[in-house]
Formats: sequence, C-alpha cells, structure tokens
Amino acid sequence: MAKFILKRLAMLPLVLLGVTLLLFGLFNSLSPEMRASIYVKDPRQLAALDEVIRKYGLNDPFHKQYSRWIGEVLSGNLGYSETAKMPVTEAIAAFFPATIELSVMAFIPIMVLGVWLGTVSAVHRDKWIDHVSRFISITGYSLPSFVLGLLLLMVFYGMLGLFPPGRYSLASDLIIYGGNYQPYTGMVLVDSLLNGQPGVFVDALRHLVLPAASLTYITMALLVRITRSSMLEELGKDYVRTARAKGLPENIVVNVHARRNAWIPVITIASILFVQLLGGVLITETVFAYPGIGRWVAQAAVQLDIPGVMGVALLTSTLFVLGNLAADVCYALVDPRIRFQ
Amino acid sequence: MPRFKTIFSLISLLVVIGLVGACGDKNSAAKAEKKAAAATKSKNPDTYVHVTISDVDSLDPAWSYDTQSHMIIENIYDYLVTYKGGSVNDLEARISNKVPSQENGLLSEDGLTYTFPIRKGVKFHKGGEVTPNDVAYSLQRFMLFDRAGGPSSLLLEPITGLTTTRSKDGKPLDEAYTKVMAAVTVDGDYVVLKIHKPFSPILSILASWAPIISKEWAAAHNAWDGTKENWKKHNNPDKTAEGFHDQENGTGPFMLDRWDKKTKETVLARFDDYWRGPAKLKRAHIKSVDEFQTRKLMLAAGDADSIYADYLQQPLLKNLPGVELIDDLPRIDMNPAIFFVFKIETKGNPNVGSGKLDGKGIPANFFADINVRKGFASAFDYEGFIKDVNRGKGTRAQSFIPKGLFGYNADQAAYPYDIDAAEAFFKKAHGGVLWKKGFKFTLAYNAGNQPREVIANMIKRAVESINPKFQIDTRPIQWSTYLDLSNKSKLPMFILGWAPDYPDPHNFAFPYMHSDGNYPRLQRYKNAEADKLVTAAMTERDLEKRKAMYFRLQEIAYEDVPTLFVLNSVLYRTQRTWVKGYTYNPIHPDAPYSCPLYYLSKE
Amino acid sequence: MSDNFKEFAADTWKRLKRRPLSLVGLALIAGFSSVAIFAPVLAPPEKNARDYYLIPQDGYSPDPVRPSAKHFFGTTEQQFDLYYGIVWGTRTAFKIGVAVVFVSIFVGILIGGVGGYYGGWVDEVLMRFTDVIMALPSIILAVVIVTVRGPSLFNVIVALAAVSWPTYARLIRGDVLSVKQREFVLAARALGASDRRILFRHVIPNSIYPVIVVASLDTGAIVLSAAALSFLGLGAPVGYADWGQLIAMSRNWIIGASGSPLDYWHTVAFPGGAIFLFVLGWNLLGDAFRDILDPRQK
Repeated sequence: MAKFILKRLAMLPLVLLGVTLLLFGLFNSLSPEMRASIYVKDPRQLAALDEVIRKYGLNDPFHKQYSRWIGEVLSGNLGYSETAKMPVTEAIAAFFPATIELSVMAFIPIMVLGVWLGTVSAVHRDKWIDHVSRFISITGYSLPSFVLGLLLLMVFYGMLGLFPPGRYSLASDLIIYGGNYQPYTGMVLVDSLLNGQPGVFVDALRHLVLPAASLTYITMALLVRITRSSMLEELGKDYVRTARAKGLPENIVVNVHARRNAWIPVITIASILFVQLLGGVLITETVFAYPGIGRWVAQAAVQLDIPGVMGVALLTSTLFVLGNLAADVCYALVDPRIRFQ
Repeated sequence: MPRFKTIFSLISLLVVIGLVGACGDKNSAAKAEKKAAAATKSKNPDTYVHVTISDVDSLDPAWSYDTQSHMIIENIYDYLVTYKGGSVNDLEARISNKVPSQENGLLSEDGLTYTFPIRKGVKFHKGGEVTPNDVAYSLQRFMLFDRAGGPSSLLLEPITGLTTTRSKDGKPLDEAYTKVMAAVTVDGDYVVLKIHKPFSPILSILASWAPIISKEWAAAHNAWDGTKENWKKHNNPDKTAEGFHDQENGTGPFMLDRWDKKTKETVLARFDDYWRGPAKLKRAHIKSVDEFQTRKLMLAAGDADSIYADYLQQPLLKNLPGVELIDDLPRIDMNPAIFFVFKIETKGNPNVGSGKLDGKGIPANFFADINVRKGFASAFDYEGFIKDVNRGKGTRAQSFIPKGLFGYNADQAAYPYDIDAAEAFFKKAHGGVLWKKGFKFTLAYNAGNQPREVIANMIKRAVESINPKFQIDTRPIQWSTYLDLSNKSKLPMFILGWAPDYPDPHNFAFPYMHSDGNYPRLQRYKNAEADKLVTAAMTERDLEKRKAMYFRLQEIAYEDVPTLFVLNSVLYRTQRTWVKGYTYNPIHPDAPYSCPLYYLSKE
Repeated sequence: MSDNFKEFAADTWKRLKRRPLSLVGLALIAGFSSVAIFAPVLAPPEKNARDYYLIPQDGYSPDPVRPSAKHFFGTTEQQFDLYYGIVWGTRTAFKIGVAVVFVSIFVGILIGGVGGYYGGWVDEVLMRFTDVIMALPSIILAVVIVTVRGPSLFNVIVALAAVSWPTYARLIRGDVLSVKQREFVLAARALGASDRRILFRHVIPNSIYPVIVVASLDTGAIVLSAAALSFLGLGAPVGYADWGQLIAMSRNWIIGASGSPLDYWHTVAFPGGAIFLFVLGWNLLGDAFRDILDPRQK
C-alpha cells in the first residue's frame, strides 16, 4: 500500500508540469500588449505600454518566460498577484482557509442530507417519497447558482436581515484586529474558539449560512443520485434478498448490509466533490462577497493576472491528485476485496 | 414500519420548515420596526464605512496612479498646499505655511521660482517632525521614482522638462538626477522649487501629488536614502520593494491601521497629534464589494455609511429610510469620448472587413475624410443619450474642456444630432464612392461599460438607418484586447474617456489635441497649429491670452472633428443621513464617493 | 434488429410511464424543442435584422419595464424584449448543450477509444493528458479559455467542450477495456477484421449506453455552466438571445427599491424560469434514461 501511494505521489510533479505548461501556453497565445493589460489599467498610462512590456519581459520567447517562471517557483517565489494585491503565496495563505471553512460547512450537510435522501429514495423506490426527494434535489441541481444566491440574499439579508454577506461583521473585525487575537489557522470558526471569542464564532457562522446553504442545495442532488442508484444496486443483490428472506428487520438490512457496500461509489464522488469545493466555488464566493480562492481566481483569470491563476492552478491540481489518492485509499479501507495494483 | 418512520420524519420536516417560515414573517415585521429605529441611529457612531468597487493598488504616493489608492493616500498624508473646500481654483496652505503667489513674494516675477515656507511642529505618525529636508526629499523621490506607467512625469515634466528619467533602452539617466536635485533645494526654513518654464498649474499638481514623507523613515524602510549613489537602484523598482507600498509615516489626519488585502478593506485610525487638531471620526473603513445589490443592502442595514453607485442604479436606491442622495454634482472629466482613427492599420485586422471601400470593409484612410467624421458627428443623438443613460443628468459637452473649468467656452459650436445633415456629409465623403458602395466595420467598446455600450448601439442604429449599405458591427471587448488593438491603431473607432490629474485645461488639451498626447497618438491625428497652441498655452501667464488659446483649440477640435465629446457629466452621492460635514469637490479622487475624511462626522 | 428495437422501445415506454417525473422531463424537452423550432413564428424578427439572435431594443432606457401587451414578458435593462430573448434563447441553449455534448463525446470516443483499445504507451500518453485536464477545476479552465480567446458564444462552446470531454474519454476507455475482452470481439479479431473496424463496429457501439445517460444529464449542467460564464461577463455579448446573458443582466434588479422589492421580478423570473425548466427537463430525462438503460437495475 505504501508503494502504491508513493507511486501515485510520483505522478504529481508530472501533472503539475502538464497543468502549468497548458495554462502558460494558453496565456502566451496572447500578444504582449494584452498581457500587459494587468499593469496598464488606465488610459492615462497608455504611453508606458512598451516600457511595461520590457519591464516584465512579456516579449521574450515562450520557453524563456516559462523557464523564468518555473525557476522562480522552484526557489519558492510564486510571483505577485495584481488582483489579490499581494504575493501569490501570501494570497493563498489568506484565501485558502476561508475556502476550507466554506467547503467544510457545505460538505457536511451535502453528505448528511444527500446520503439520507438517497437512501430513502432507494428504499421507497418509485413511491411518492422517492419522487419528492428526487424532485427536491433535482430542482437544486437545475438552478443557476447565482440566481439562487441572489434570491437567498434578497430574502435572508434584504428582507429579514438575518444572514449578511462577507466573512464577518464590523464588530468581529474590531475584535480580530483588536490586538489580543491570534490568527492561528486563518479559519475564523477555529480561531475564534481558540481565542475564546464565541461572539466572533457565531458571527462568522451567520455569514457562512447562506453560501453554505446555497452550495448544499445545488450540489446535494449529485449525492442523492449516486447513493440512490448504488443502494438500488445493492438492494437487488442476492445477499440482501437472502437477508430479507431470513426475516431480518428491514432497517437492519438497509442500514447494516446494503448501505455499507453502497458507500464505495459515494466515497469516490464525495472526495472529488470536496476537492472541487476546495478548488474554488467561483460563483458562490463572488455572489456572497466571500473572500476565498474562488473569488480571487475568477478575477485573476478574467483580468489576465497570470501569476495568480498559475498559483491557484498549482494548488488545486495538487489537491486533486491528493484527493483522488485519498479516495482510492478509502476504497480499500471500506472494501477489503479491492487490491492495490 | 420504517416507511412510516420516514414519512413521519418528512412530515415533521415540512412542519418545521412551515414554522420557521411563519416565524420569519413575524420576524420580518419586528425587523422592519427595528430597522426604522436603526435608521436614525448608527451602530458605530465614530466609525465611518464606505463601500466601493475598486481596491487599493499601492499606498506608495510615488507608485499609485489609481483613484482608490489616491483616496487613502489623501487622508494619511499632507500636501504642500490643498484645495479650499469645494473650489477647484482656490488653494490653501498646508505643510507650506503660505500658498506662493506674486503678491506675497513667494513666487518670482518670471514665474519660475516658488518658495515654500515650511510649517513648524507638524508631527509624523511614527515620531519626528517635518523638516524642509523632508519636504525637498518628498518632491525629489516622487520624480526620481518614475515607475513605468506611474505619475512621476506629472511633476518631472513641468519642473525639469524631461518626460522620463530613463533613456530609450530603460537605463536611468544621470541628467535626470542632476536636474531634479537642482530644481528642489532647501534654504533654511524654506524649500525652493525652480521650474524650467512658467507653468501656473504647478501648484494644483502639488495639491494632489507628491505628499510629504519622512526621509529618515524612508531610508529605514528600503526606500531611496537621498544619495546620488543609490537613486538608480530605486528608479522604476518592483512594486513591493519599498516600505511605502503597504506602510506609511505620513502627517495626515488619519493613520493606516491596516490594509487588509484579503477582505479588500483599508482601515484608517485617527491620528490624535494631527497638527490641525484631531479628526471627528475615530476610524474609517474603506471596503470593496463588487456586487451592487450587496452594497445597497449594506447601506440599507446601516452597515455602510456611503456606497458607490451610478446613475443606472439610482432608482433602486429610492425610498431607503435614512439614506440621502445628493444629486447633480458636476464632475471635471471628459468621459465618454468617441475617437476616430485617421490611419487605421488594416493588415490582419478583422475590424475593417475587406480593408477596401467596396461595401464589405473600410480602407485605412476611411476616417481621414472629414465628411465621414462630420457624418458620424451628426448621427449621434447626444441629448437622447443624456436622457436615457444619464437620466437627464448632465449637459452636452461643447468640446474637450468640461464645464466649470478655466477655458470652457459655452458658445463653442458643436454638431447637433441631425440625420439629414449626416446623410449630406456621407454623400460627399470619399468622392461619393462611400454612398454608392457602403461600408462595414466594427465599433468596439470595453465590455461591461454600459454607457459606452449604448453609445455604440445608438451610432449603429442611426448610421445604418441612413443607408442600408452602411453596416456597423458593435462588439464588446475585454480591456486587454482594447489596449492591444487601440495601441496598434486597429480599432477604426473607439470609445474611452479621460479623468484629469489636476484641474487645468492643459490636462485635457494635451491628451485630446496634441499629436504626442494619449489619444491623438493612437488616432494618428496631427494638427500643427494645435500642437503649437497646446505647448504655448501651457506656459502662457496672461490669463486672457491663455483663454483665447484654449478657445482657438476648441475651434480646431470643432473644425477637425478628431473626437466626439458627449457629456459634461454629473454624479450623485449616496450616504446615510447621519453622515455630516460632507463638502463636494470634484477634484478629489473618486468624488463624490470619496472626500477628505477629516471633516466628516456621524451623529 | 427491428424487433429488438420495438421491444426496446416498448419496454422503455413502459418504464417511462411508471415515472411521472420522467414524463414531465420528456414534456419539458419536447416543449422547448418546439419553441426552438418555431422561434421565427413565435417571435418574428424585425424586418431588416441581420442577425436574428440579436434581441430588438425598444429605446435605450436603463430601467426594465413590466410585462405589457406589447412586450409579453416585459423588457430588461436597455429595453431588450424578454419574450424575444427567451424564445430565441431556446435555440441558443440547445446549440450550447448539444454542440458541447457532441464535441465532447466525439473527442472522448476518439481519445478514450483509441487509448483503451491500443493500450500501452498510446494509452499512457492520452490518459496522462486527460489527467492534466481533469486536475484543473473545470470552471477555472473554462474561464481561462474564454478569457484568452475572447468572450463569445462560440468560444463558450469551445471552452466547455474542452473541459467536458475527459469524463467521456474515461467512461469509454473503461468500457472499451472490458468489451474488448469479450468473445465477439475476440472472434472478430480472429477472423482478421481490421483494428478500425473492430473499434467502430464492435467495441464502441457496445459501450455507448452509459455515454447516453451521462450526456443527457450533462446537457443541462452545460447550459448552467454557460450561464455561469455569462455571469462572470464571459458569455455572448449583451443583447444576444442567451438566457445566461439575460439573467446576468437582471442581477442588479433582483431586489427592487426599498418598499417595493418586487418591482422588477420579471427580469429574473422569466429567464431564470426558462433556464431552470430547461435544465430540469434534461435532468429528469437523464435520470429516467439512467433507470431504463442501466442493466443493473432491471
């Protein structure tokens, strides 16, 4: 197993090389003037265009620009992101904890609700409960995320004043920067408790409710669907029939026998899903003005902030490879029949 | 059994949802009452929160050239002189004890030497007092820093006559150093500034640029130490190389508490030792939120005291309790403007179709024919644009000098919207070939800019209605593409605008009319008389003569029609009624959204 | 064969009937299809219009106007007629969904099929390339591609196809690997059939069913992704009949002025409803297909 993990980890540099070459190549298909647009943002600076191109070496041949970039990366410098207004490494450290927080807060209800609804659907296949639960999940899956986000904001912030956008309010802001607050992890929910600030914790939680709810509603369908079909498959198998025939109570058949085996595809999807959430929930973060990786990379990509996009790409691709690896390991733990090749 | 369990749990879930909904209703009524109460009382009576759309680029006064950074810098630093209240012409003293003029003898008779008596007892935020040496250093660093695309040339050019501190291949020039150091000198308690040619706007430039910094602090924070050996190292440096990028040691009424790049928020704290007495506000948060609806909700909830909003969004801000709109605030800018390119690059350019006057494209010299330009000038519904897009706010621009600025001529003729006249011009154009064959080209605007988008569509509709053979494709393009194509003169016609660096007609005449200026360079437009007039008017000290020169320049703009000017724009400010002490001055960056925070208070 | 097909069709219909929701899905897609087909009748373009997909504008006023007899669904910002935009936007939605799915399936069959069939280093190279594409969150890659190529409907299709094909490639590769070991393929090979013939006549047709299921589910998701790109300002130009574009235009109007928050409900309700029903239709249909075609659940 250790050998398998090492072998898979050895693939990581290769994937990263491919990803960065691909993105760098895409960006470099643009003219130097276009790539200079991130530095020349105002008509007043038009005259300096050539000098800016020279300063950042935007006119150099592709291999030269790429090797310069990769040389810097290997020496630990990911460059400066003009959209984040800080060095890329600093930006990742600043935005990633926020995204982790949001992802976890969305992931838990997605899993719980998704698996629950999926199981209910499968057990009561083609009954009205099945239809209702599938309908609920499928409507979420069919809504454009920004429409849902804006509607939630309208009702819960605009009309009820309950859940504000952003990450925390002015009052928490004053505490966090008040001097007696140690940002241990960068995750407000964790830090506030470590610092003994329940008020900040509740405040941060309030800010997370809407984006997390919106993500849950939109993504849950995927898990409902997978759990349902996977459960159906298991319920149709001989051993379940035997168990039923033996007169075991239905809930034991469902919860102990079938569900255990139905977990395998659910785990794959779940791990991919979690990595996707971490990789940036662009639209949701943008709508809720939530300062995470997604909002940053959306701006970086649109404004041709090349160092920013490359930095996020390195991060998310690494997460992807590790996430897949984790899923495979989980497989083996759940199902001992699976052998590592 | 389990089925009933599930049904039961589902039902109970529905009941809970229903209950929450019902509670929500009651809550909303209670909330509304609370809100009405909140409308008159701020949650944080000594903290001011402004929510805008852009974020700070750099807090280094010599680096930053964008309004958002400038707005912060303006509040943490002091300048030699500044604008008085809402005036764009009257200056008052700050770090300089007096505003130099010939009457008080601080401006030499030839208009070349300015003497600034330096105020005593002005404290820096992090210790120390302002000395004449600091002041001289502040001006010198501003000029010698000269990052590519930065504001340094605003002072460098009028003071030394150089447009850049570097040679063509990017090496720092010794000449620049010698000239700068000779121009700014210390004489006892005075700082003496010698400029190479008379240039009256120099004081207005100093009122917005090159604020006073501490030389000692600068040297200790990786910035230039003031010596000849080191200046080249600090010429055109990397953005984050020097401490000024995200730290400060100014003398202004507010100190930088923090610049949180993560939440796109800048927090300022009151400087209690400020030489004019402490400000009324204790703190100020300037925050960036992209989504308009979110900004609006923050304003409505009292979480923001003022927000950025444009005319398109105005109806959505109506009836907000406790919120006022201060409307019809005249701006000093010329935006938008519609540019014709006199010599279009047709090679490999899909925007000109076939590249010939054959009905399927346009040739390189399409707009070089004055009749074409006049035709377009007559085919744009200026008043309709103001009515629809600007909600009737603002007036039609006469020429490139905005209303309210010196040199503005209310009687200057401008082309009226007249489709018949346009038709007549088009019939004459290119010896009648144009009318017979027709044309086709792409009119581009930068994506996301709604007023410019409407302009493009209005021109398209009007011109296409004149002759079915006239075809204009309107195309939104990203800023990067815009920059690239306009720089290569590949856009036949484009829409951009200009906001001034300082309120003087020269800052409009040069970019709009001089062949080396920002836009004529891209348009490949050159009028020898205009070039001469722009240069002469810059140094002319006789106000009557100067005015006449600008009047003549505006006539040339009418005769040549290189550019269409649309609007003397106005804006409105949206703030909570509890904000007191606001004075509008169009020259402050991002006005009317931003202003000197020193005068503001909340009740 | 035709007997088989009849039996299959009859069986499918029986299964569909059992699920009222899938019938709803079928009805929705059928409804949208007829709207797309009859667009010129339902919303006749202006006489001198050069491009039928450009929504007619009734003036330039920035404020949306409520539905009226002249504009059934009202107008959105800058007086674009919502009814026209939604009717013609149906065609755009089909175009995006179908074009992206077809291109993705084609590329997927090519890369997955070739990789799975030949194996060895060919497979290795192709799969590592697939890994690279999949390692990036698809929305990020799509945003980069559209930004680099310039925002337009065509480039949205290119970008979405570029990020969608790996799913199909993996799916087909896996199926090809299992199918190619089956007897009839081995038999064909023993008879001396060419590689290409075996691949296209035997292997791929046998692995196509799971692809159909994924494709029908994907069509809806792709239309949503396109709308998300529009929201980020990376879609069709303003005024083009595209639902995502229309919703993006409504973002400022979702909440009206204080005291009358529903003043502009129509700007979001109509395009939002259209996209929701369209995607819902495909999802219901896809779910039904899955149940029907999935042999494990018979």
